[in-house]
Amino acid sequence: MDIEDTKASPLHWIVYIGVIVSVLGPLIPQFIWPFAKSWFFPDLLPSVWSVRAWEYIANPNSQVLEAVWNSLVIAVLVTCISVLLGVPAGKALGMYRFRGKGLVELFILAPSIIPGLAVTMGIHVVFIRLGLSDTLLGVVLVHLIPTIPYMTISMSGIFANYDPDFEEQARSLGASTFKTFFIITLPAIFPGIVTGAMFAFLISWGQYLLTVLIGGGRVITLPLLLFSFAASRDNAFMSALSIIFLLPAIIILFFTSKFLSGKSSSMGGFGTI
Amino acid sequence: MHRKIGIALFSLLFLVSFTGAQAQFEKSYMQMSWDQIVAEAKGQTVYYYAWGGSETINSFINGYFKDRLAQKYGVTLKLVPVTDATTYVNKVLGEKQAGKTSGGSVDLVWTNGENFRTMKQGNLLFGPYLDKLPNARYYNEGSTAYDFGYPVEGFESPFGSAQVVMEYNSKYVPNPPRTIAELVAWVKKNPGKFTYAAPPDFTGSVIVRHFFYANANNLGELMGPLNASVYSRVAAKTWTMLNDIEPYLWMGGKTYPENSIKSQELIGNGEIWISFEYGPKGAESRITKGTYPSTIKTAVLDTGTIGNTNFLAIPFNSGVKAAAMLACNEMLDPEVQYKASLSSDQGGMSWMSPLDITKVPRDWAVKFDALPRHPSTLSGEVLNSHKVSELMADWLVKIEKDWQAEVLKK
Amino acid sequence: MTKRTTIVLLLFPTISVLVLLFLGGLAMGLMQSFGYMPLIGMNDFNIDAYGSLFGDQEFLLSLALTLWISISSTLLTMVLAIITALAFRKTFSGKRIANFLYQFPITIPHIVIAVGTLLVFSQSGMAARFAHQAGLIADQNQFPVVVSDKLGLGIIYVYLWKQIPFVGVIVLSILQAMGNNYEELARSLGASKWQAFRHVLLPTIIPGILPASIICFSFTFGSYEVPFLLGRPYPTVISVLAMRLYQDVDLNARPQAMATAVFMAAFISIMVVLYKRLLGKMSGRR
Repeated sequence: MDIEDTKASPLHWIVYIGVIVSVLGPLIPQFIWPFAKSWFFPDLLPSVWSVRAWEYIANPNSQVLEAVWNSLVIAVLVTCISVLLGVPAGKALGMYRFRGKGLVELFILAPSIIPGLAVTMGIHVVFIRLGLSDTLLGVVLVHLIPTIPYMTISMSGIFANYDPDFEEQARSLGASTFKTFFIITLPAIFPGIVTGAMFAFLISWGQYLLTVLIGGGRVITLPLLLFSFAASRDNAFMSALSIIFLLPAIIILFFTSKFLSGKSSSMGGFGTI
Repeated sequence: MHRKIGIALFSLLFLVSFTGAQAQFEKSYMQMSWDQIVAEAKGQTVYYYAWGGSETINSFINGYFKDRLAQKYGVTLKLVPVTDATTYVNKVLGEKQAGKTSGGSVDLVWTNGENFRTMKQGNLLFGPYLDKLPNARYYNEGSTAYDFGYPVEGFESPFGSAQVVMEYNSKYVPNPPRTIAELVAWVKKNPGKFTYAAPPDFTGSVIVRHFFYANANNLGELMGPLNASVYSRVAAKTWTMLNDIEPYLWMGGKTYPENSIKSQELIGNGEIWISFEYGPKGAESRITKGTYPSTIKTAVLDTGTIGNTNFLAIPFNSGVKAAAMLACNEMLDPEVQYKASLSSDQGGMSWMSPLDITKVPRDWAVKFDALPRHPSTLSGEVLNSHKVSELMADWLVKIEKDWQAEVLKK
Repeated sequence: MTKRTTIVLLLFPTISVLVLLFLGGLAMGLMQSFGYMPLIGMNDFNIDAYGSLFGDQEFLLSLALTLWISISSTLLTMVLAIITALAFRKTFSGKRIANFLYQFPITIPHIVIAVGTLLVFSQSGMAARFAHQAGLIADQNQFPVVVSDKLGLGIIYVYLWKQIPFVGVIVLSILQAMGNNYEELARSLGASKWQAFRHVLLPTIIPGILPASIICFSFTFGSYEVPFLLGRPYPTVISVLAMRLYQDVDLNARPQAMATAVFMAAFISIMVVLYKRLLGKMSGRR
C-alpha cells in the first residue's frame, strides 16, 4: 500500500464497516422498540407492533411535552448566558497577554475538568436557603458551571486568530463602536459562537445529575423521565423518549457541521490546558 | 461581649417563636372543619412524589385523578416521578436540616414500610390526619393499623394494596404447586424452571419470607418484634431448604436475577415457568402490554401469600397541607378506586383497592363485584382469604442480610 | 480605557460567576465533608468522614472499578482513535465516511448511547438475538454478560463510542497539518512502514492528543449517568456511590458523601497538575 493511495483497500473496508456497525448499531433498536408491543427473545423483529408509546408521549398527561419544554427553556437560557459571559472572557484570553493569564485560564477551565458532584452537593444547601432549589433558575445557574468553560475556551481560540486591525480600520473610517462590532467583529467570531453555543446547549440538554440534585425532581426535564423508564426497563417508552432526546443533537449537527471541522480553532482551544 | 449575648438571645427567641408558630399551624388544621379545609385547598398546587416507572399508573394519576381534583376542587396536582423512594425522604430531611420548616418542596408522597418508618421517626410527617378524612370510613382501619409492623397512627392514608401471587405458565405447568413443600418437590422435578430475585430486592426478599413462614410452627410466633430464639430455629430450617433446592434453580443456582424486572423477563420469555411477584394484577397488565404470553396465570398458596398496603403521606413542611389532605381523601373515594381498578385499556391502572367492600355504599359495592376480571387474575375473595401479614422491619432486615451469607455465598 | 481596565472588565463577569458558583460550591462541599456547616447546625470540625471513607471496603472497590473504567477507556480511545484516523485519512471514500462518523457521535448525548447499549448488548438484546439466529448460542443465558457486568464493559463501550471521534478529529487535523512530507522522507531514507509510524507519526500525534486524553480521563472518572444506567448496584463507580450516600435516608452519611465528592475533585486536580508537569517536560526535551 502506497502512501499516495487514493483507493480503499479491502483492509480499509473492513475498518470502515466495523466502525459503521459499532457507531450506528446501538441506535438501530432504539428506532424499532417504540413501535413494538411484543418482542420476545430470540425474534429479530417484534411479533406485535403498536404505537402506544407515541400515543402516550403525545398525551399532555404524560408530562413529556412539559419536560421537553422545560429542557428547551433551560438549555436556551444557559446557552444565552454562556455566550454573554464567554465572549468577552474569551476575547480577554485570546487577544491579550497579561500577568497571571495562565492562572486565569486554568481557573476558567477547571469546572469542565473537575467533577461537578462536589460543587453541586456543596452548593445545594445554600440554594435551599436562598429558595433557588427546585426552581428553573436554580437549575440554569448550576448548568452554567460546566458550560461557561466550553464557551470561553472556544471563544479564546477564535480571538487568538482574530486580527484587531480591521476594527481599527473601520473605526478610522468613522464607524461607531457599536457598528464596528456588528459589521466587523461579529461576522469574524460568529463560527466560534456557534460552536461554543452548540456545546453549551448540548451539555445543558444532556444533564441529569445536576438537574436532579438542584431541581429536586420538581423541575422535570427529559432526562428525568428517561431515567424513570430506564429504571423500570420499559424498552418501548425508554426508546421513544431517547429518540426525542436525540433530535436536537441531529438538528444541531445538521446546521453547524460546516463550523465543526478538524481545523476549527475553537476546538483547538482545548489544547491550552 | 454584651452584643454577642444579645445576638444569641435574639436568635434563640427567633427560633422559639418559629417552632411555636409551627405547632400552632399544625393544630389549626385539627380544629378546622372539612369544609374549611376544602375552601383553603382551592387554588393550591400539590407536588406529589412517586415512583414513576409505570406509564399506566402515571397516566391515571396525571389524567383522571388530576383532572378530577382540578375540576372538583380547583386543586392542581403535579406528579414528580422518582426512580427510588428514598429520594424524597432524603429531600425532606435535607430541607429540615437546612431550616426549611415551611413551604417545603414535597407535599405528598407514595410510601410504605421502611420509608414510612424513617420519616415518622424523624418527625418528617404531618399528622395524624387520617381521621380528618371523610372517606376514611370506607376502609377497615383495623387491617391497616400497621405498616410492616410499624404503627400507622393516622400519619398516612391508604392508596392501594398489594399481595404476592405465584405466576405460572399454564402451557407447561397445568397443576401449580399449592404449598411451599409442593413447590420444593416441583422445583426438584423441573430443574432450571424456577428462581427468585436476590434479596435485598423488594420482591426477592418477600419470596424468601414465604419460605421462612413455611418453616415456622405457626404464623403467630413470627408476629411482633424480633424473637431471637424463634428466628434462629426458623432461619436454620429455611436456609437448609433454600440451599437444598439451589442446584435445581435457573442457571443451576449459580446466580440469581438482580431484581423482579429480570425475573419477569425470564417468565415472559418462557425461560422459567414459575415465579412469584408482587401485585395480583401484574400478570394481567403485562399480558395487556404484550410482555407476557397469555398462558401466564396466577395462584396463591393454600397457606396464604403476604400482602400489604401502600400509602400516601404528607411531609411536615408542606405549604399546602389542606390540598394534600384533599388529595388523600379523594384517593379513598369509591368512584376513584373503582376507576383505578379497571384495566389500562379502560382508563384505569389495574389497581388493587384498599377499600373494604362491605363498607362502601351499596351501588359501588355492586360495581366492584361486577368488575371485569382478566383470566389471569384471581378474585378478590380468593386473594383476601389467602392474605397473610408482613413481618416487622427488624425481622426483614435480618433475613435479607443472612440470606446473603447463608445462601448466596455458600 | 487602559488595556488593564479592558481586560478586567472583559473577565469580570465570568470570573465572578465562577467564583460564586464553582469555588463557592467547592468550598461548601469541603466544609461539609469536615462536618462543618453552621448554616445547618453542623458545628464540629473533624476528619471522621475521610477516615471512614478509606476504611470502607465499598469505597475502595468503587475507586478501583472507577480507575479501571477510566484508565482503560482512555487508553483504548487513544489507540483506536489513531488507528481509525490512519485508516480514514488516505482514501477519498474514507474521508467522506470519516467526516460523517466523526462528527455524528460528538453531539449525541451519552444517555442515548447508554440506552442503545442496553438494547443491543443485554442478554435479551439484539446481539444475543443475532447470535441465537446464527446458531452460536442456544439460550440467552449463554450470551456473555457485558451489561451490568463486573468489568463495566458496557460502560467502557459507551465512552469509546463518544470519545474516539472527539480524539480522532484531533488526530486527523494533526495528520493533515503535517502532510506526507516527513513520512515520505523517512520512507525514502529506507525506514519501514512501522518505523516511519513509530518514529515520525507517533511522536507528533501523542503530544497533540494528551490534552484530549486528560479530558477523557477526568470525564469518565466523574461521570454519573452512564454507570448509573449500565453498572451494577455493587460495587458501583465512585460518583454513583457519592450520590447514593448523599441521598441516604440517614443524614449522617452526608459528610461521607461530600468527602467522596471532594476526593474526586482533589484526585482530578492532582492528575491535571501532574499532567502539566509531564507536558512541560516533554516540550522541554524537544
